[in-house]
Amino acid sequence: MTVPLELYLVLSASVFCAGLFGILVRQSALHFLMAVELMLNAANINLVAFSLEHGNLTGQVFALFGLALAAAEVAIGIGIILVLNRNFDNIDVTDAVTMRW
Amino acid sequence: MVDVFNFVEAIALVPLASFVLVLLLGDRMPKKGAISGIAATGFSLAISLWVVLDLAMGGEVYHEELFTFVAGDDVGVELMFGLLIDPLAALMLTIVSLIAFLVHLFSLGYMNDEGEIGLRRYYASLSLFTFSMLAFVYSNNLLMAFMFFELVGLCSFLLIGFWFRDDGPPSAAKKAFLVTRFGDYFFLVGVVAVLGTFGTAAFAGEHSFIIEATHVLDPSHSGEMNTFFGLGEQAWITVIALLVLGGVVGKSAQFPLHTWLPDAMEGPTPVSALIHAATMVAAGVYLVMRMYGFYALSPTALSIIALIGGFTAFFAATMALVKQELKQVLAYSTVSQYGYMMLALGGGGYVGAVFHLTTHAIFKALLFLGAGAVIIAMHHNENMWDMGGLKSRMPVTYWTFLFGSLALAGIFPFAGFWSKDEVLLETLQHGLSGEPILLVGYGFGAAAVVLTALYTFRMVFLTFHGDPRTETAEDPEPIGWNMKFPLVVLGVLSAVAGVINLGAIKEFIGEDALFLKKWLEGKTLDGELGSLSAKEYHHILESDYAAGYEVTEISPLGPGALALVLALIGLGGAVALYRGSEPTPHMTKLGRVRTLLMNNYYLDEFQVWLATGLTAPLARAANKFDQSGIDGVVNGTGSVSMFTGQRFRKIQTGIVTNYAALLTMGLVLLLLVFALMGGWF
Repeated sequence: MTVPLELYLVLSASVFCAGLFGILVRQSALHFLMAVELMLNAANINLVAFSLEHGNLTGQVFALFGLALAAAEVAIGIGIILVLNRNFDNIDVTDAVTMRW
Repeated sequence: MVDVFNFVEAIALVPLASFVLVLLLGDRMPKKGAISGIAATGFSLAISLWVVLDLAMGGEVYHEELFTFVAGDDVGVELMFGLLIDPLAALMLTIVSLIAFLVHLFSLGYMNDEGEIGLRRYYASLSLFTFSMLAFVYSNNLLMAFMFFELVGLCSFLLIGFWFRDDGPPSAAKKAFLVTRFGDYFFLVGVVAVLGTFGTAAFAGEHSFIIEATHVLDPSHSGEMNTFFGLGEQAWITVIALLVLGGVVGKSAQFPLHTWLPDAMEGPTPVSALIHAATMVAAGVYLVMRMYGFYALSPTALSIIALIGGFTAFFAATMALVKQELKQVLAYSTVSQYGYMMLALGGGGYVGAVFHLTTHAIFKALLFLGAGAVIIAMHHNENMWDMGGLKSRMPVTYWTFLFGSLALAGIFPFAGFWSKDEVLLETLQHGLSGEPILLVGYGFGAAAVVLTALYTFRMVFLTFHGDPRTETAEDPEPIGWNMKFPLVVLGVLSAVAGVINLGAIKEFIGEDALFLKKWLEGKTLDGELGSLSAKEYHHILESDYAAGYEVTEISPLGPGALALVLALIGLGGAVALYRGSEPTPHMTKLGRVRTLLMNNYYLDEFQVWLATGLTAPLARAANKFDQSGIDGVVNGTGSVSMFTGQRFRKIQTGIVTNYAALLTMGLVLLLLVFALMGGWF
């Protein structure tokens, strides 16, 4: 039984929207990081789904790259969060507003 | 025999070396550098005389490109430095180095013996001045001539302002610099025009611009030139000629740019002698002579030269009549005499002009040096009404000064008579053949002869005759041999220099005895002088495609006698008015005319008004427009950017969520736009 492509795309879109929602409303930097992961993985789902649909492995390879990218991003992101905590004593992104006009 | 032309460059370079030497070591040298200057100019004089001798014995014209200043690759214009020594240049080199030599010698008495300070500066400038003028004289192209022309102007600035701690000299120096620079501006444009039109600025050689221009106009030849502004060929040549003439009018102190010259009397008197007789002022007239073949092509330019010259000769003479300072009288007489040279050049009298330049250099240098001796004797009091009776107290100065005055007034048989007669005769000959403008110039010139004799002998009588009017005049300071020697040399020359061209009596002595004429026609040379000879100039002058002058053959005796009679009238007038032991100031009877003349026709005031009343408000208006209009637009652009930037920077809140929202909104917006454009709905 094959799952139709549309369902994958709907899944991907809803995961992406969940991630976007997280970025727009959350205050904790850790939540931010997670929301970004969700958005990245939504993209990965798309890549894999189209790869399956077209019988072409390129998409899956790209998804692997995406995973590696996500891992790197987390490493940097966690580092930033640690520094944030050190300077502002919390990790609320709406508090760290010294870099403005 | 050693070929003199192997080291002819040295004529100018040795004074340059002297300049460097004096500038560096002047304070430690004997006489503060005077010796080096005397040696250098003496050397130049010797070489110049050798060159003259060589050319007179059948040498050849020396024309050599020495140095490429800017190389043109086939298409462009080549700018060169080079030497051109033809009879005219050789004659001028001799005059300049002779006068410079005597002036250096005289300076020993005038400057050193008086204990002046700053002598190193003085002698360095004097050497540089001599160098500039000599290099200007043997320039072989217009651009090089222009450069040295400017250098001459700079040196005169330095020397006129020599006593810069007083009030007068710096302002006079500035005026001389600015007024001549005003004329030189036109000259510079003229040089560029010549280069743009003919692609070369050479005076001589097969492809000189003068020959090119002649070939363009001459129907029997073919030549090429570019014209601009849609003007015809002859009209464009006239324009160029007039542009260059701007520089000439400024340097040679012709109306209306003559105002700097009387002020230049603020400089040391030997410098005045140098400026007036051989350098600076002579440079302008010499330039016209140098490119006379070019001027001869344009009847309009010639008429303007003749008119300016004739008018200046008369106009300056009227002002000289009322002046009270010795040097002021001489200054206006210089302006007037250069007017004669211009009149001659405009009237087709090339030989006459060269002749008058030569004799004038001699007698005017003599008069200035004589005046310098008088000024020293009078302890720097220049007012002639404070003098009188100096005749018996300084006989050498008196007799030499008298010779110079007789020459200036044009009394037979002194040098000035022959040359002035030649000037007037040639103008009259060409004027009588249907050139009314030349006749007007001749009229001015003839009237100026009377005035010249009158003011010259007014000066002589007031200075040397009668009873002494002050105690200083009673017991003048004696002058040394170093001042007397130049006076005697020049005095003798003033009396006899006429023999080089006794034009007035050529019916008796024959055409062959007119040495200067033969000299300028290149008859003494081995080869042909070609386009630089006086004969060729006359040929061009008389061609229909060029000036189209015709000669009315009249006996030179009549006009010669007329000139002599006019001069004698002036002389007689001066004798009648100022003879006696207690001369009365007759000129005060002129009343308001005298006031007008004393104030130089208010031309200085007019020029100041031009600057402060016309140019300055115009400049202020332009400045205002620049400040508010141009700068307003620029500043306005800036302030609009600043203002919007100040408002827009508020969106940089520093809150990451806001940036994310903006990003998202931007993406949505972009999607919407694509959707609408792509017609998804």
